[in-house]
Amino acid sequence: MFTLIKREIEDHIAYFIGAIILSAVLTALLTSAIYYDDPGERPVFVVLSIPVIVVLIIGFASMGVSQMYTDKNRKISAFLSALPVTRGRILTARIITGILAILIVIVPLIITGIFLRRLFAPPIPIFSGLIFDISAPAFLMAFACYCLGLQTGWTSSRITPTLGGLVLTCILVPLILVKGFGTHIKVILILFIVASLIRTWQKFKSTAL
Amino acid sequence: MNESVVEIENLVKYFDGRYVLDGINLKVPRGCIYGLLGRNASGKTTTIRILLGHEPATRGRTFLLGAESTSLSAKVHSRIGYVAEGHNLIQNYKVGRVVKLCKDLSSRWNNKFFKHLIETFRLPMDRRVRELSIGMRAQLNLSLAMAIDPELLILDDPTLGMDTVVRRQFLELAIDVIQQQGRTILFCSHILSDVERIADRIGILTAGKLVVDCPLEELKERIKKLRVIFSQSAPENLHLTEIINQQVQGREMVITVANWNRQKQTILETFKPSSCTEIPMSLEDIFIECTRPSLIPLPAEKEEL
Amino acid sequence: MQIRIDNSSDRPVYQQIIDQIKRDIALGRLNKDEKLPTVRQMARQIAINPNTIAKAYRQLEQEGIITTKPGTGAFVANLDSNLSRAVRKRLISEELERIAVEAFHMQLDRQTLLELFSNAIEKFNFL
Repeated sequence: MFTLIKREIEDHIAYFIGAIILSAVLTALLTSAIYYDDPGERPVFVVLSIPVIVVLIIGFASMGVSQMYTDKNRKISAFLSALPVTRGRILTARIITGILAILIVIVPLIITGIFLRRLFAPPIPIFSGLIFDISAPAFLMAFACYCLGLQTGWTSSRITPTLGGLVLTCILVPLILVKGFGTHIKVILILFIVASLIRTWQKFKSTAL
Repeated sequence: MNESVVEIENLVKYFDGRYVLDGINLKVPRGCIYGLLGRNASGKTTTIRILLGHEPATRGRTFLLGAESTSLSAKVHSRIGYVAEGHNLIQNYKVGRVVKLCKDLSSRWNNKFFKHLIETFRLPMDRRVRELSIGMRAQLNLSLAMAIDPELLILDDPTLGMDTVVRRQFLELAIDVIQQQGRTILFCSHILSDVERIADRIGILTAGKLVVDCPLEELKERIKKLRVIFSQSAPENLHLTEIINQQVQGREMVITVANWNRQKQTILETFKPSSCTEIPMSLEDIFIECTRPSLIPLPAEKEEL
Repeated sequence: MQIRIDNSSDRPVYQQIIDQIKRDIALGRLNKDEKLPTVRQMARQIAINPNTIAKAYRQLEQEGIITTKPGTGAFVANLDSNLSRAVRKRLISEELERIAVEAFHMQLDRQTLLELFSNAIEKFNFL
């Protein structure tokens, strides 16, 4: 399993580097947002966060697509299945890699958030629950995009997946802005993820290599 | 305990509007070297892919080492060495990386043997797979398949792209494998001379059916090609079974029959032919006879005036 | 000993091996009690499935042309056949009849046929 994960990471190292850079940028943004908290500047940060979310969504979706697309293109699963490796393991390793990439972006933000909260407690309206309330849906959202990427990457062979990503963006962003981060968001996302993964698993297992 | 290492039961594969495989039954016992022959697109590769679970069958079941093909565990996989047609390797990886991947993912790896093969074939570790010639890719594939000490070797056109010298090296390698007791090999090849050298049993696939499945040494005795001349025009129906091919020209009939025996001889003699001679057939001749679309007459030769 | 397999022949490979060993013995290239290559050696040498070679050796042993000693290998046997003289004569006359039929269809005359036969016998060490 470890070998498979290592292989996935090596093949998609660009995404991991991107994730690290993104993580650094977001951490810097978050720190400056809290540090220089100026009510007048708040709308700027809200506006800035939209392209960031878009980048995140497209980024993770395209990672999923890329992993599946390169597999089909370079016949990686075809080669691996000649070895004592089941398709289940290949897909699991792939998903774990995706989760790792997401965590690389989110975990530093969480740590920064906790750290800043300790530093700037009471005056700043950040309560402990908020960190979880934001990071959990964020993680789920990123993972959902990733799963969407995985699914479309395996079934279609052209760049229609990017369109799928845009559609998801259009659905999710208004949903968040209107309804905010609530339990309903988490439930919707979890359902979507489960359905998507099941579909991907079915397709992956049954396709002729 | 002579269990079948490969078992195919009533295999049917329908694809693209036709029956690629139409009811194949085959058993390869342990220790047997089975040569599967057939023309291009006769279904050899499809059969192998179904056996390995890479493709689903339309009907029927297949088994490898006792396990059903649709649910081969990693453990069973580790006992099988596979060389695919087209030499399925990850093209843009370096050879060394491909080797390491195989080594790390295999439960049994005979490094000493692998190193010996690499040296014999002189394979470069630092070049990318796509930069290798077809022959070298074949050698790499073969080395990787053999390095895991497999109980069953499945080879789909393993010598594709190999030059004469390398092909001979491959044959010698195959014989080394055969000398180790209990190994089974299933291979498809176009090079009949190679097949004749190393196969124990032969199968010929034509039009989705296994028209021949017998020990190689019996093949030449079982299939006979006869030139029969009759005193008057040749009869339409000889009432013989298992006629593979039949061409009639006036008084002369050339007929190819499987499983020739005294009974068939007697039936033929009732038609009182004026002469009956046997036309000798090499493996290649037999193969051509068995894979020619049946009962298509040869163009008539111009008669000398 | 050089065995050559002819892929365009109508004879099975094991039969070709048998034929060539018999021929070598008849031509005096292999002498009585001389050691033949082991199955493994020959398999490697001519790139032929060892089972095929083993079958050829088994049949040669059955016909009494070679003997095998476990552990040591195969040797050219005493050239006294196991078969009785009557049986031997019958087998050869059957072969000769086959040749006669072929020659008839090829329209060779009796004189030519006898000449060809004499020439063939000349090559080998007949007593």
